[in-house]
Amino acid sequence: MTVLQACEIAGVDIPRFCYHSRLSIAGNCRMCLVEVEKSPKPVASCAMPALPGMKIKTDTPLAKKAREGVMEFLLMNHPLDCPICDQGGECDLQDQSMAFGSDRGRFTETKRSVVDKNLGPLVKTVMTRCIQCTRCVRFATEIAGVQDLGMLGRGSGEEIGTYVERLMTSELSGNVIDICPVGALTSKPFAFKARNWELKGTESIDVTDAVGSNIRIDSRGPEVMRILPRLNEDINEEWISDKTRFFYDGLKRQRLNDPMIRGPDGRFKAVSWRDALAVVAEVIHQVKPSEIVGVAGKLSDAESMMALKDFLNKMGSNNVWCEGNGPSPNADIRSGYIMNTSISGLEKADVFLLVGTQPRVEAAMVNARIRKTVRAAQAKVGYVGPATDLNYDHEHLGTGPQTLKEIADGRHPFSSTLINAKNPCIIVGAGVFERNDKDAIFSVVETIAESAKAVRPDWNGLNVLLLNAAQAAALDLGLVPESGNSIESSKFIYLMGADDVNLEKIPEDAFVVYQGHHGDRGVYRANIILPSSAFSEKEGTYVNTEGCAQTTVPAVPTVGDARDDWKIIRALSEVAGACLPYDSLTAIRSRMRTVAPNLLNTDERQPAIFSYSLKPESRQEMSTVPFGTAVENFYMTDSITRASKVMAQCSASLSKK
Amino acid sequence: MGSVVRSAVKAIKEKGFGSFLRELRDEGYLTALLDGNLMQTKIHNIGATLVGVDKFGNKYYEKLGDTQYGRHRWVEYAAKDRYNASQVPPEWHGWLHFITDHTGDELLLLKPTRYGLEHKENLSGEGDQYIYHSKGHSLNPGQRDWTRYQPWQPTKA
Repeated sequence: MTVLQACEIAGVDIPRFCYHSRLSIAGNCRMCLVEVEKSPKPVASCAMPALPGMKIKTDTPLAKKAREGVMEFLLMNHPLDCPICDQGGECDLQDQSMAFGSDRGRFTETKRSVVDKNLGPLVKTVMTRCIQCTRCVRFATEIAGVQDLGMLGRGSGEEIGTYVERLMTSELSGNVIDICPVGALTSKPFAFKARNWELKGTESIDVTDAVGSNIRIDSRGPEVMRILPRLNEDINEEWISDKTRFFYDGLKRQRLNDPMIRGPDGRFKAVSWRDALAVVAEVIHQVKPSEIVGVAGKLSDAESMMALKDFLNKMGSNNVWCEGNGPSPNADIRSGYIMNTSISGLEKADVFLLVGTQPRVEAAMVNARIRKTVRAAQAKVGYVGPATDLNYDHEHLGTGPQTLKEIADGRHPFSSTLINAKNPCIIVGAGVFERNDKDAIFSVVETIAESAKAVRPDWNGLNVLLLNAAQAAALDLGLVPESGNSIESSKFIYLMGADDVNLEKIPEDAFVVYQGHHGDRGVYRANIILPSSAFSEKEGTYVNTEGCAQTTVPAVPTVGDARDDWKIIRALSEVAGACLPYDSLTAIRSRMRTVAPNLLNTDERQPAIFSYSLKPESRQEMSTVPFGTAVENFYMTDSITRASKVMAQCSASLSKK
Repeated sequence: MGSVVRSAVKAIKEKGFGSFLRELRDEGYLTALLDGNLMQTKIHNIGATLVGVDKFGNKYYEKLGDTQYGRHRWVEYAAKDRYNASQVPPEWHGWLHFITDHTGDELLLLKPTRYGLEHKENLSGEGDQYIYHSKGHSLNPGQRDWTRYQPWQPTKA
């Protein structure tokens, strides 16, 4: 423990710029100088180990003078552009110069200026403001795992930069905005849009991937202005991925704001809710119950999925599922679809086996955890799937299921690594769900887990890494289709924000209802559009990939005539004459409690009780088709991110491939 | 008053009565009859030197000698019905207010061509359409159909 940490525990606030609790110690800003008894000079407390019997003085004239001196040096080359700086109001340098700085400076020469660097479409740089704390450099190398940023030059010529003219190619690059103590690195999409004191913060959940990162949605009036991470040690620590941070401009584009009906001429016409619901109710009674199909989208909350399932069940159909879960999802044994190790538990693992998953694009925060473990504990990573760029050392074992078979049979060199591991961790990607031989793959993986003793009372190392925010809740609620190919024979399809179902498979004469918030792929096939609210505008429960239920909170009002998803289905059920028995969020949640009580236990991870051993034996044959990539483009995975301009820029300039 | 009559008689003698009346009308003396302020300026003009005319048609007079010091420069506005001090362009402002002895025509040569803006009079009270409203102002014409989100356009379907 360092002196600074000891002082923090004792409740003394020591100013600092370069020190960050999640990064290595640099000790180069000198702001944390304190006086230590019997030491001739003030010492940098962030780098000095605390020793027993040490007498630390933090408010003596010597310490005060040292801080004032350091602050004067820092402000020497810092521009006086706080009034036009986006960091203004949440700037460490501003705050600390008020609290610890001197009230005058002696600097009369001209200030140094530094050329701005181009770090891509997300991070704006004003390098003259940089105080060379090197937090961003350490973040990039240690946590993001890219060697893009570095320190160039010496003395007053010292500057942060990419060594050659290049962009910062990390999916976590937005976090350097948060850790930068001054306004040198700021958010490019947010530049000059708002002041931080005008914003209203709403603590919510990210839905762009299955991690469920905790976020704060900063809004001004009816507009989402920016998204910041919220501290949650179990899920995202204090980072979020770039997709989470910057997709919010998609919430303002391509929104569905009126119910619309496609006329005989193929054009959409805006209608009233009453007419729209009447049309849907009429059509749903004209088809056979077995021809009714409901698909929940990847951004659906548990409440609306519950309502959709209840409504379609009342109409006599049980063909309702959530996209991404594949044709025959296993919803019976919860350990078969959640991350049993838990995200924070990944840090205890010493060997990873990634099966058909590229966590870097599927769940960037999980990938950051794996990287943290690899860095801290030298954990070994074996990877089965198409060649990919994980930002840590890994062994590419193979591309297809036959490699798994070899590992299971002990013929592969990696199987001995797994067997010798103390806490082996196997992560299967949710892309496997779409394969026809998924049961066979899971049974092979279970054999590997068995031989590696990955599932023990004190350690559960058999995981599934989901792709979408809605997946886990859908399986918890039992959204399982009766048959895997019900869509081909359907006459009435209810797409609740489902844009990634295979729209070509929908028969020509089928009546398609699209309920969603964005004019994405689904609307082009829809016969009727029911506008709903996005996750930032409604209260909803989401279960993340480790089985932790969390709720979103409305941050901004919804657009136009849109309504909450579950309310639309509730209203439709009444018009259709099969009224659902809940009128409020509390009522629908108590209905959810009877189906999946864990959904009501918010912010608390509910581990699976039964392990895979209860599963019936699979007699499926494994195919030799190699694993595919589940997420082609990290920046554009759902209807909101596809509508976002910033994400489009990112995928144009940053996506490899 | 004597000088007024004298100059009027002189003008009638020179130009004849008909053209004298026409000139009176063109110069705005008939409207001046109802506007004492303008009338006084007109009377003041007699015998004064016309120093210059700006691009709006405002005439700048100076009379040294028998006028009180500080009242020896004045302007006759081009607009005879609606005139106010903001109609004086900046190049003449200095001369008119004794800030400088350079006339507006001389100062106009110093005007930067690259970024100098055209002078606009203050139209406050003349109607909202004449007044600048910032982007967020409810009277800004751009404000009215401003939406915080961009709806999906079904015509593209």
